[in-house]
Amino acid sequence: MPPPSSPLSRRRFLGLGAAAASGAALAACGGPAPGSSTSGGGSASLRMITPIFDRADGQKLLETLLAQFKKANPGVDVQPDYTSYGKLNEKLTTSIVGGQPYDVMLIGVGWIPPFAKKGVLGDLGTPAADLSRTYNPRVVQAGIWEGKTYARPIVLDTRLGIYRKDILSAAGITAPPKDLAELKDMAKQLTVRKGGTLQRAGVDILSNDLRQTFLPIMWAFGGDLFRDGKPAFDSPEAIDALQWMVDIVRTDKIEDYGFSSTSAVAAPLTQGRAAMAIGHNDLWRQFEEAKPELVKDDAVAGFTLAQARPAMFQGGTLATVAARSRYPQQARKLVEFLSSDQVAPQAAQQRGNIPAVLSAANSDYVRSDKLVGFAVQNLDHAFSEGGVPQWLEIRDQFKPALESALLGRTTPAKALQGLAEKAKAIMAKDS
Amino acid sequence: MAAPATQLARSGRDDPPRTARLGAGPRARRGSGPRQSRLARDRRRTAYLMLAPATVHLVWWIGFPVAATFVLAFLHYDVLAGTATFAGLDNFRAIFADSTWNASIWHTVVFTFFTVPVAMAIAVVLAVLLNNKMRGRAWYRAAIFMPHITATVAIALVWMWMFEPRIGILNTALGWFGVKGPVWLGDPSWALFAVIMVSIWKGVGIKMLIYLAALQAMPQDVYEAAELDGASKARTFWSITLPLLKPATFFVLVVSIIDSFQAFDQLYVLTPDGGPANSTTVMTYEIYSKAFKEFQMGQAAAMSVVLFAFLLVLMLLSRRLTGREDDVR
Repeated sequence: MPPPSSPLSRRRFLGLGAAAASGAALAACGGPAPGSSTSGGGSASLRMITPIFDRADGQKLLETLLAQFKKANPGVDVQPDYTSYGKLNEKLTTSIVGGQPYDVMLIGVGWIPPFAKKGVLGDLGTPAADLSRTYNPRVVQAGIWEGKTYARPIVLDTRLGIYRKDILSAAGITAPPKDLAELKDMAKQLTVRKGGTLQRAGVDILSNDLRQTFLPIMWAFGGDLFRDGKPAFDSPEAIDALQWMVDIVRTDKIEDYGFSSTSAVAAPLTQGRAAMAIGHNDLWRQFEEAKPELVKDDAVAGFTLAQARPAMFQGGTLATVAARSRYPQQARKLVEFLSSDQVAPQAAQQRGNIPAVLSAANSDYVRSDKLVGFAVQNLDHAFSEGGVPQWLEIRDQFKPALESALLGRTTPAKALQGLAEKAKAIMAKDS
Repeated sequence: MAAPATQLARSGRDDPPRTARLGAGPRARRGSGPRQSRLARDRRRTAYLMLAPATVHLVWWIGFPVAATFVLAFLHYDVLAGTATFAGLDNFRAIFADSTWNASIWHTVVFTFFTVPVAMAIAVVLAVLLNNKMRGRAWYRAAIFMPHITATVAIALVWMWMFEPRIGILNTALGWFGVKGPVWLGDPSWALFAVIMVSIWKGVGIKMLIYLAALQAMPQDVYEAAELDGASKARTFWSITLPLLKPATFFVLVVSIIDSFQAFDQLYVLTPDGGPANSTTVMTYEIYSKAFKEFQMGQAAAMSVVLFAFLLVLMLLSRRLTGREDDVR
């Protein structure tokens, strides 16, 4: 049998190879070249990433809202990419490295300083004073970096004290704790154990993210995250705050480590396995779904965490435009639309959060959601995390340090001093 | 003697028998002339074209990223600002000064040390048992293999429920004997152990399957001879089965070590954010965290290079220990 003779000449072989390589290169570099489109008010296809419409009802709402936006802005198409806060950085990084950043990014308070400093965000051009007429001034500040406005707020979220009136009144307690010392005393009284096993925690501090539980307690004790741009979360006030948490778990045995966690499907407070909690204001939604009778009976309410001063943790989601967006004008229009007083309240309601616009402060939704209403009334006591460009890197160091103290592996002082050292090293490296 | 060589060339065989090669001396090959040389060239071109898609894939999707990782490891690469400057060994110094990274190396070694040998031992025993004729053998094999093909996230969620300290099945069962179960995934003393348990359970199936394939390809005459010599079952296992499984063992060992060093998903789902007090953080999680949570791409690349070096050394060691036989019989 003769060998198969190949009709392939060297020239054809090289030609085919070149064609294949060109094809691969073109496929990899797909999409229009930057700057090839108009940056004016014409047609555009905007890519938007959002961590606050990720649930089914949220996606449905956003699609309705985007249809309204498209009607008002013919030719502007928006492709939303739904994600969660846990996956946000991953998606942002890959989009930036890939050379195709999202045109519009909905991001948290802590993202603004690093992203603004590195030139990821575009200046929105609206003076902070103008925004303060529409939004709570405290929230507006989160979107400002070195005097420029890089973000407009959409929704706020808080971490506050929440208590079950029915459980407290059954124990003869008629008012929520005035300060953290009283909170601990009440919690001791309300803790129930059976044969050594915890049945009801006087206060649940473990269902919420540990850092976001620690920070409002630290602020209540009079501590700060940073002072003069340097880490201050190892101050005596901060150590007192962590000691307070450690006492809850280790000394006073008010809550056992492992009794609840951030991954718990239902919070102990909704199940009656806790009398009080430090938690997210969206817990109200969980009550509405799981225990509507408690909502109807007005059995759930909020309280500020106070010691040296009243404090509440306040985060939020803000709308930004990428500095490298191919459609900056249309992207800014979308940002204005999403943060408008027609849209922002709807975004807040689908998530059980607080609308950032002042006009919604007395809306039916805010009045009906007691935790949101309480948070709105007490925004003057709210503190936000972040403040330095390295915050996204620093904040991840908190959880293991706090856990080490809660587990008794180290003292609160050593845990926070180690944490501050790490933060200083991160900041020094970046400077 | 030239005729057989010509015939072999025409038949298109790549590797003629040794006798034929010996018979076809230089004169015989020269005798085929320029025609054969042209044919050989054409065949080479065809082969290259056939290999081209795989080569493009290898170079584009594996070669470039690997090369980029090595380059990035020596750069201060600011992914947000899009700037890069030469860093020398700064990234390596930074990661080895990081106690969390050093802890993650230790956790990875511990994780591998317990998951690989234990799972391999269980897999051998199961494979030998399920190689015998028994009722429902196919069902047992399928059941043991099932965790391997089930989505890790689904497995992790079921195990999370089993590990639940208050109502989980494990602590409930321990409670029947008066033992108060630990907070499996929340206690730093137990979290890594709990994840190792899940990983062993998940990894046994594929190892068993490889051992089963090796067992079924074993020469039966050796066993018949051992039986005639009066060897016991245990003696047969230790002196015949295990030595004959050596190539399969090498393969399983290498694949398991690589898998174990790259373990991420079950750890990520069962113990998010590196677990309680970073007690289950492993090298892969630290790489992910450094790159996507902290945006430190240079350091993440340096960590990847260290992981690569670990795997390379372990592969060489495994090869030496198991006698350089890497084919599965």
